[in-house]
Amino acid sequence: MIQKDLTINNKHGLHARPAAQFVKVSSQFECDIWVERDEERVNGKSIMGLMMLAAPSGATISISTDGSDETEAMNALEALVVGGFDDE
Amino acid sequence: MDVPVPNPSEDAPILLDKNQNTSKAPIRRLKSMSVRDFYESYQQSLQLVLVGSESGFERKIIEPELNRPGLALAGFYTYFAEQRIQVIGNAEHSYLTCLETKDGLARFRELCRQAVPCLILARGHSLPKAFMDEAHRLQLSIFQTEMASMHFLNAATIRLQWAFAPTTTEHGSMVDIHGIGVLLRGESGSGKSETVIGLIDRGATLVADDLVRFRRIEGGDIMGTSKEVGRNHMEVRGLGLINVMALYGIGAVRLEKALNVVITLRPADDIHQLERLGLEPKTYRILGLDLPHVELLVAPGRDLAKLIEVAAMDVKLKVFGHDTAVEFNNRLLRKLRDHRDV
Repeated sequence: MIQKDLTINNKHGLHARPAAQFVKVSSQFECDIWVERDEERVNGKSIMGLMMLAAPSGATISISTDGSDETEAMNALEALVVGGFDDE
Repeated sequence: MDVPVPNPSEDAPILLDKNQNTSKAPIRRLKSMSVRDFYESYQQSLQLVLVGSESGFERKIIEPELNRPGLALAGFYTYFAEQRIQVIGNAEHSYLTCLETKDGLARFRELCRQAVPCLILARGHSLPKAFMDEAHRLQLSIFQTEMASMHFLNAATIRLQWAFAPTTTEHGSMVDIHGIGVLLRGESGSGKSETVIGLIDRGATLVADDLVRFRRIEGGDIMGTSKEVGRNHMEVRGLGLINVMALYGIGAVRLEKALNVVITLRPADDIHQLERLGLEPKTYRILGLDLPHVELLVAPGRDLAKLIEVAAMDVKLKVFGHDTAVEFNNRLLRKLRDHRDV
């Protein structure tokens, strides 16, 4: 299992569009993906779950991947989050 | 020769690829209608009585519009809508009859010489025999109607616009779900008919199965209907033909319905990325109108009839001004703004 803390750095935080992008990437991998913030832990393949985290810009989320392709999954998700989801 | 083709997965937008689809079905349009067809089709609804001869029955109507030939009767032909049906109302009739008979006949002859499709005498007016003979000689048919000119113009325009409106046919089934007209598309064998039966069980009404004919007057709704031969019937794999009206009653079928949403069933193994939230509205264009488009994956155990019913009701919600995805996200965005962790 890999675990990494990342900062949400797009302007509006983890709203619907970034959440959908996150799930579009995470769904491509076999491994289990979890996202945690403020002791709330949601499935990283669930749009509704990610939106319920209500993570604003500047918040730290903790992503963990667990499974055969956990490294690739983590790399892809890290690139997405660090890149600000290409959100304006 | 091999030509390098860019990999479609590169540079593709992350969320959605194609949100706008257009029907590929050919669009047909009536080019002309003979005066005979006009008379036979609208004899009752427009209260048409043939008072002249049938000699003009093969003249063609090529414009779904009508004209009152007042200026033409006065001798002005520089601008004259000669391709339109000409309606003689009170004004034209009294003008013709108050002229000296010889002069009036000359004016009338000039009108008959134009390429006009036919003449309509409104308010039950009639013309002197000399006029009628002239029209017969020049092979122009004259009809009488008891309707007042304006009333006739409106009623005839509506019918002609409808007859000349563009039409197309789509492969799919159409149902009315809680007042929302739904076109259900999908490959053969994707389960459209089974789904339609499920919907009828839930109170939907069948408009057309397998082939839907659409017609749209410019600026209006798209009206869907079944071809007459297949009306009220469905073909279900394993069952053969079933008569929906006989099985479910007259309440389970309807003749026509305005189309509000297009739903496409896609095979479960379709890698096509489906919209998850409804924030990126998809559209499907039929006869120039972009309709909301929902794509659903067919997978074992999915209750498609139920999903489609919900999709139709969500469209209805939008019609009433509630866009669920947008409202939800705005609420989330407000919350995110208020709790910025900077």
